[in-house]
Amino acid sequence: ANWRYAHEEFEGDVQDVFAHKFKEYVEEHSDNTVQIFRFGELGESDDIMEQTQMGILQFVNQSPGFTGSLIPEAQIFFIPYLLPVDDDDIIDFFRTSKAINEMFPELYAEQGLELLKMYPEGEMVVTADTPVRSPEDFRGKNIRTMTNPLLSETYRAFGATPTPLPWGEVYGGLQTNIIQGQENPIFWIQSGGLYEVSPNLIFTGHGQFTTALMANQDFFNSLSADEQQLVRDASEYAFDYITEYVPGLSDEMLDKILEASPDVTVTRLTEEERQVFMDRAPRVEQRFIDMTGERGEALLEQFKADLEPYQSR
Amino acid sequence: MKDDLQDTHTSGLPGFLGVIDSGISRIESVILAVGVLLMAVNTVANVIGRFVFGESLFFAEEVNRILIVMITFAGIGYAARHGRHIRMSALYDALPTSARRLLMICIAFVTSGTMFFLCYYAFTYMQSIYNTGRVLPTMGIPLYLMYVWVPIGFAVTGIQYLLTGIKNIFSRDVYLSTHVVDGYEETETEV
Amino acid sequence: MITYMLATMIILLLLGFPMMIPLIMAALVGFYMTFDGFGQMNIMIQQMMGGIRPTALIAVPMFILAADIMTRGQSANRLINMVMAFIGHIKGGLAVSTAASCTLFGAVSGSTQATVVAVGSPLRPKLLKAGYKDSFTLALIINSSDIAFLIPPSIGMIIYGVISGTSIGELFIAGVGPGLLILAMFSAYCIAYAYIHKVPTEPKSSWKERLIAIKDALWPLGFPVIIVGGIYGGIFSPTEAAAACVLYAVILEFIVFRSLKATDIYRIAKSTGLITAVVFILVAVGNGFSWIISFAQIPQAILGGLGIDQAGPIGVLFAIAIAFFIACMFVDPIVVILVLTPIFAPAIASTGLDPVLVGVLITLMVAIGSATPPFGCDIFTAIAIFKRPYWEVIRGTPPFVFMLVLASVLIIFFPQIALFLRDLAFR
Ligand code: NA
Ligand code: NA
Repeated sequence: ANWRYAHEEFEGDVQDVFAHKFKEYVEEHSDNTVQIFRFGELGESDDIMEQTQMGILQFVNQSPGFTGSLIPEAQIFFIPYLLPVDDDDIIDFFRTSKAINEMFPELYAEQGLELLKMYPEGEMVVTADTPVRSPEDFRGKNIRTMTNPLLSETYRAFGATPTPLPWGEVYGGLQTNIIQGQENPIFWIQSGGLYEVSPNLIFTGHGQFTTALMANQDFFNSLSADEQQLVRDASEYAFDYITEYVPGLSDEMLDKILEASPDVTVTRLTEEERQVFMDRAPRVEQRFIDMTGERGEALLEQFKADLEPYQSR
Repeated sequence: MKDDLQDTHTSGLPGFLGVIDSGISRIESVILAVGVLLMAVNTVANVIGRFVFGESLFFAEEVNRILIVMITFAGIGYAARHGRHIRMSALYDALPTSARRLLMICIAFVTSGTMFFLCYYAFTYMQSIYNTGRVLPTMGIPLYLMYVWVPIGFAVTGIQYLLTGIKNIFSRDVYLSTHVVDGYEETETEV
Repeated sequence: MITYMLATMIILLLLGFPMMIPLIMAALVGFYMTFDGFGQMNIMIQQMMGGIRPTALIAVPMFILAADIMTRGQSANRLINMVMAFIGHIKGGLAVSTAASCTLFGAVSGSTQATVVAVGSPLRPKLLKAGYKDSFTLALIINSSDIAFLIPPSIGMIIYGVISGTSIGELFIAGVGPGLLILAMFSAYCIAYAYIHKVPTEPKSSWKERLIAIKDALWPLGFPVIIVGGIYGGIFSPTEAAAACVLYAVILEFIVFRSLKATDIYRIAKSTGLITAVVFILVAVGNGFSWIISFAQIPQAILGGLGIDQAGPIGVLFAIAIAFFIACMFVDPIVVILVLTPIFAPAIASTGLDPVLVGVLITLMVAIGSATPPFGCDIFTAIAIFKRPYWEVIRGTPPFVFMLVLASVLIIFFPQIALFLRDLAFR
């Protein structure tokens, strides 16, 4: 059969690479074909999610941040300093976390979705018009965020003014100083040329850009046991590839940026500097619990329990 | 640009139908005007908020999303009523009156049918949104409420074109809508 | 499938159906053939909603509202008077002033139709009195109004920017160069026309009259400052600039000039709402149409079949220009942008063309289309405003169309005409 698979990024970006690895595995190990739709081809993030729920698309890759209106708990990934920063830790966490591998699939199942894989796309890097080392440095800066209440809360807690803006206006907004900064994984900063107009890269270590592959549940349940296994194996295969690809990609992209522009500065917060921002995270956690109630609280507790081993290192 | 549509809302229909028709027209025009004014106030206030108080109105974007759906779908019925939907009439204009009237009857009924068809699917779409329980992320308003205007707008537009078709069957002139006669002379006051 | 879709669309268009119907019907044919029935029609509604969702579209009703307030008030006349005071007296000065006034009014208004009304109504009687032929006069007004489409703000550019994900601010500034180029061409033609037809010159204004005209126009000249200065000075996003224009227009016409009464605002808002709805329903159904062709992967098939991928950037630009030009001869410009932009998107991406350049070229073709027969919304506006028959309105257009096409070719070969100012402001 022909399976349709939509994601939210452009050609060659992490989700696109993941999709093509998935396709490669499926087509090599079965007679099925996978047809990939990229960003905007079938509408916005919300649209491709609905189309998957309706069964027109079989697979959709959507970041939990966008899933917020459907599954509020998915916004947990916007809580700053929750996930580990170290590449090995983060991959290990995604493989073993009970919250991710047991609790989230149940939440998605309520919406008729089979959660196949959650995976990280890389650390969120802030770019700004000046280097930033403390909340005081953020004061008075308009930082572009996606339209998401929890993410806005994070930047408010950090001392900045969160400013939601569509992606198409980000480059011009930075150029004309409507916004003084933004956050994105490093490969977006490179491919979008954002470093040209916002040259100070700040590695705050506050978040990982996380995303998820899921299938329409009715479709998935209608597959034979062999085919279900094929889909799971394909997801695993793509995940394995991505876990190698993303860490290398970040370094490669940073090198490219440094090579392209002499104006770029790189700021990595020290342990103490990071602590100042971390101390402001509970406010965002509280907001998350306000928004999601007991279920959110339970999820957050499990998250923290899963993360215990990495904190002590 | 100067669309001085008469404010009287007189209906081209007789009796009870006419009363309903002009009532709908009145409501539509109020929705249009108030919708645009609210959007202007909201957008201007958002700009002022950002400059004077350093913070955008958190609800501004979602309010505008609601208003734009409302304006569009209240407006299509109103535009149908006043014969204002954009059409390419070069060939049509070259036809004699009797042929134009026949073609207009056909256009009106087909358009009407299409509107009712979309009305049905807009309603089922609204239902499916209702079932998912999705809300507007910032204000927490159920998303389906935003779409209420969609089936209503299609239904009203469908009715307008249905009436236009009927009007053309029973008259000698060609009518673009229930009360706008076709032809350049007549449209002068309308533009 | 695309054949059936296009056939449905073209037949219904030619028969004179309201523009939304050919688009809806073509989409229905696509849905029916793709899903073997109407089982997935919910997606059509979803995509219609998606079409009018982007917040950048709010700029459209805001610019229409501001233009409507100004057209009914005094801003337009004050701008025209200033232009006349300076160039009215040269050979062909009245005609050149008309083109220049359209450009200047274009800098405060987002639509060509508003420009036809605002500049054409007061100037046409003067042109006729001065001895210009009516066919020339009408063609001049209609085609000069095209310039308003290229000079910021521009509703066509907003819609192109939204559906292609291109920065509207960059598109705006890139339209200025081509707009001025066309103004220069038209002016040269007007002067030549005046010499050939021996049109007498107008009396020259004194410096005192000029100073008064400048003083009167100072307030309305605030609009370009808000739009261009605001966006490029980093004060406003395009949508915010539109809102600021509304506020400024209200202050000018209701408080400073006192040309409008508070009760007028209701009628103005209603008419803005009506125009917005008529445009946005097309944006909505256009998005449904482009979803189904994208889902069926039709653009890739068409462009692969034509071998456009191998044509190189210049070839793709020519293909785009020709396709938009022909389509705009028959169909409303907004509809053409909605239908054709997604079809060409893969080719634009694969040749690495600057989407801003493509946007300017498309806007230009669309502007030309609004003024060229057989279908042209500016022609229809002129017919309705000036009460002249169709043939009379279009008779003088060929020289103007020729100049506009020449301008398009120049932009294809010398993209810097469009990109120079953009690079200065944004790169
Ligand atoms: Na303009
Ligand atoms: Na045309």
